[in-house]
Amino acid sequence: MSRTSFTKALNDALDIGLERFPEMFLIGEDIGEMGGDFAVTRDLWAKYGADRVRDTPLSEAAIVGTCVGAAVVGMRPVAEIMFADFLGECYDQIVNNAAKLHYMFDGQFTAPLVIRTACGGGFGGGPHHSQSVEGWFLNVPGIVIVAPSNPADAKGLLLASIESDDPVLFLEHKALYRARGEVPEGHFTTPLGTAVVAREGTDITVVATMRMVAMALAAAEELEAEGISVEVVDLRTIRPYDADTVLRSVAKTGRAVVANEAPRIGGLGAELSARIHEECFSDLAAPVGRVDALDAPIPFSVPLEHEILPQPAHVTAAIRTTLEAVR
Amino acid sequence: MERDTLLGLYDDMWLIRAFEQGLEREFEQGNVPGMLHTGLGQEATQAALAAHLDATDCFFPDHRCHGINALAQHRHRGDGERIMAELFGRSTGVCGGKGGSLHSADPTVGNYGDNAVEGSYMATVLGVALAAQLRGEPKVACAIIGDGTVGRGEFHESLNMAAIWKLPVLYACVNNGYAISMPVGDGHASADIIDLAKGYGFECRQVDGNDIVESHRAVGDAVAHIRAGEGPYFLELKTWRWQGIFAGEFRPAEEVKYWREEHDPILMADEVLESMGVDAAAREAIESAQRARIEEWIAFAKKSPPPDLAKATADVYVGWEVAGR
Ligand SMILES: Cc1ncc(C[n+]2csc(CCOP(=O)(O)OP(=O)(O)O)c2C)c(N)n1
Ligand SMILES: [Mg+2]
Repeated sequence: MSRTSFTKALNDALDIGLERFPEMFLIGEDIGEMGGDFAVTRDLWAKYGADRVRDTPLSEAAIVGTCVGAAVVGMRPVAEIMFADFLGECYDQIVNNAAKLHYMFDGQFTAPLVIRTACGGGFGGGPHHSQSVEGWFLNVPGIVIVAPSNPADAKGLLLASIESDDPVLFLEHKALYRARGEVPEGHFTTPLGTAVVAREGTDITVVATMRMVAMALAAAEELEAEGISVEVVDLRTIRPYDADTVLRSVAKTGRAVVANEAPRIGGLGAELSARIHEECFSDLAAPVGRVDALDAPIPFSVPLEHEILPQPAHVTAAIRTTLEAVR
Repeated sequence: MERDTLLGLYDDMWLIRAFEQGLEREFEQGNVPGMLHTGLGQEATQAALAAHLDATDCFFPDHRCHGINALAQHRHRGDGERIMAELFGRSTGVCGGKGGSLHSADPTVGNYGDNAVEGSYMATVLGVALAAQLRGEPKVACAIIGDGTVGRGEFHESLNMAAIWKLPVLYACVNNGYAISMPVGDGHASADIIDLAKGYGFECRQVDGNDIVESHRAVGDAVAHIRAGEGPYFLELKTWRWQGIFAGEFRPAEEVKYWREEHDPILMADEVLESMGVDAAAREAIESAQRARIEEWIAFAKKSPPPDLAKATADVYVGWEVAGR
């Protein structure tokens, strides 16, 4: 164990992957000598060379297409799409190729590729550098969506993603890059498709992803002083997600809040809320509460952005409302 | 060209034509679900490509490529009927009926599968080519693309990246003059797609795609160039599709007459074969043998069982099961 940043944990995972798997390569814009916009690939170009840490022009469709083509012939490509907002440029490659080819060609191909991308707001990035895009992909069978909340999971989940035979969209929340935490040394994997109970509690469950996990943990801490016991479930994989862990927790606490940073309509919160209502109806003492962004693009100006995105106070408020609500 | 080589190609062109005509008949009778795009009139382009691509190469077929798919399947595995069965949506198809006309694949014969989002594999082909380059394999990765498909941005991303990395990609552009209803010259800055490709600085060539002798030579040169490690190659094959648009024929009568009666690839090959001493009877024997083969394939498809319903949710993921109803 050592105290490591989220960025360094990702960098370590890529380093270990490149060391272990000769068929693995990295591809993306400015990931080579420069080490990537967020320094996630720092020093890897010098260590592994330009063939395996491959710079590209601004050609997102060709980047992901290259990954798909290489993956079907047995390579393990890991792409970096600089900002998640640019995934529209390669949406077809992800949705119509990577996610479908194992199925539509009857299992003859697999697409063991990873698309890493920086998502999320809170830094004044404006409408095209701040979005939470999981909802764009939530409706796509065949894709795996991974969303770590801390450095240890970032490393373990990235290694698991590299080793997965399914195509993975790996979301890195920009606000987390500098987060630090204890991370095991060397190679380890955190299984995809598994949520974790990040804090145990008995009165209410908060199901959260990425940056919202820290907010949920802070809210739990704050409310503990008032004698309120909050359980926090970190979903970690958004698709296919670990319904068992979520439903077991809600069955125990009888109340739930789902918290993510994307807009409300058609998003992860909607899916989780619907599922909890369907499957835990008789256990629920109140309707599921939701914390998410307002239904608007993300503006540049700091106070406006702050207004749009979910803040810690919203999590605390949603917990209180859900605790006070009665059936 | 040697007489035997041409006879082989002629045989292949008849396989393709018989396949498409048999399929068209079955489609009209309501036996083939979905949509139908045929490669009728474009047989020489596909026969020329199939002649030079090995099972260890890679080609991405387009929506008019039943013929080359069947040819590759027949040549390398002896089971061309599985392409027919796929188009009928049967369990014996190359994709167990999940893909159909627009998504037939079998990598063991070099067929990496069509995309019904036209030409998406212009991007995908780069990865197959890159893997071959990194591994030092002499593989050719070929994307078969229509003139209309060239309108996609991926065309330019792909040619650019193939050029900067000197990838072993063969772009086989089948320019049949139209994208559904859009004439090639109205949809692009040039009616000659080669003009759009030239700026990327690699080898480009344009041929009469209905002249099997010329097309065969051109594909051979392109494949040799790529295998020699000389980088990508852009080959434009000028042809014409018999199929109009779904509503029927929309092209000028004299144009239709020219392509169907004077510039049909099989009639053109007939003339060359005649001059080589292959008489009409010998040629008709080739045609009827292929037609008989296709009838067997259609019968095979029709008597094949439909897919097991458990397959509906199989193979969504490698690592997870998806629940059925
Ligand atoms: C990306 C995309 N846009 C539009 C279509 C609908 N479509 C199917 S075939 C076609 C025309 C393609 O023209 P071309 O590439 O010249 O092929 P041709 O049919 O002439 O052989 C179109 C527009 C599609 N399938 N995919
Ligand atoms: Mg066309």
